[in-house]
Amino acid sequence: MAETPSTSETTGAPGGHEPAGFPPFKTETFPSQFFWLAVTFAFLFVVLWRVAGPRIAGTISARRGQINADLGSAQAARGDADAANGAYQTALAGAKARAQALAEANRKTITDEIDRAKAAADAKAQEDVAKAETRIAEMRVAARAEVSRAASDAAVQIVARLTGETVGTDDAAAAVRSVTGN
Amino acid sequence: MALNPMEQFEVKPLIEQPLLHIAGHPIFFTNQALLMIIVTVASALFLTFAMSRRALVPSRTQSMAEMSYEFVAGMLNSAAGEDGLKFFPFVFTIFMFVLFSNFFGMIPGSFTVTSQIAVTFALASLVILTVIVVGFAKHGIGFLRLFVPHAPLPLLFLLVPIELISFLTRPISLSVRLFANMLAGHTMLAVFGGFVVLLGGAGGILSVLSLAPMALIVAIMLLELLVAFLQAYVFAILTCIYLNEALHLHDHH
Repeated sequence: MAETPSTSETTGAPGGHEPAGFPPFKTETFPSQFFWLAVTFAFLFVVLWRVAGPRIAGTISARRGQINADLGSAQAARGDADAANGAYQTALAGAKARAQALAEANRKTITDEIDRAKAAADAKAQEDVAKAETRIAEMRVAARAEVSRAASDAAVQIVARLTGETVGTDDAAAAVRSVTGN
Repeated sequence: MALNPMEQFEVKPLIEQPLLHIAGHPIFFTNQALLMIIVTVASALFLTFAMSRRALVPSRTQSMAEMSYEFVAGMLNSAAGEDGLKFFPFVFTIFMFVLFSNFFGMIPGSFTVTSQIAVTFALASLVILTVIVVGFAKHGIGFLRLFVPHAPLPLLFLLVPIELISFLTRPISLSVRLFANMLAGHTMLAVFGGFVVLLGGAGGILSVLSLAPMALIVAIMLLELLVAFLQAYVFAILTCIYLNEALHLHDHH
């Protein structure tokens, strides 16, 4: 502790007696305080101004840019997805329409075929019916002729049995016709 | 005399011989100088090395550094507008210097740089000088309109002196606010710390009683941490507001 009296006097150095007075108001410490404040404050100012500030600002703006770019690409991806979805929907609708048209065409061909077959069958049946009716009519005429002959024969026989007279077949037939009305 | 609560504010040379003389005044390397160096180097390292990775997804320290940056930038932008941002390095330095000084002062056994009126007054004078220089550089002699509010002429005889006095007392209010807050808080801590030592040394039931001031110290410590941040914030926001006046006078914001 080889301190000169002037040092302990001007700075209130520790050691011997407790220095009197309110410490912050000791003006003899002010030059040292101002000096070190100027040095350290200037140092900090230069570091923050030239190094730390730009570095932090750069990082923050880079992050902001990255976020904006990411948001933009996400937006673009969504647009692409929307477009793809639209294209898919269009293709789907087209395919659906084509399938419907195909089914419709198929149905039409089948119906036509059925109609044609039905018509052919109908025509054949009609023809058969007509043929059968003709035959029936012929048979009816033949049967009627047969019945008339039988009736006139029977009449001849009856007359012969009853009267013993022989009646001509023509007369008998005429009589039968007059009875039956045709 | 560890029980003298004022002893912690003593600026003591750590090296007995003065480093140099400026205009006849000896410059010592003091405990306060050591703390100033620690404070500035710590905040410079914090803000530089926390950002060394420049990660897009920040680490905890990096996001703290970014937070303090954006905090000050937001403060300056909202108080002084876009053109205030060119003073960002200045305000950022003031904020970090005061904040780190206050926080490092909270470490027991260290020294609170901002508990010295010389330091706070020098900082406040720097702020006001900047305001005056900026004001005259931007508006010329029109900067003096700052002291003339929009009011009827008779009222101006009253208002102009009030505005002048309020402007001139700014460096005092700005510096004394910070200085007194730090001084009072640390004095209170030292006083209650003295109670703990006295009661603890007394023995018997008094030793048990020493737990009461101990608990109080813990509570005051928490309060002082809040004050440490708050005073740095107040100092910085007032700097922003004064800069805004220099840039825009009273017209618009």
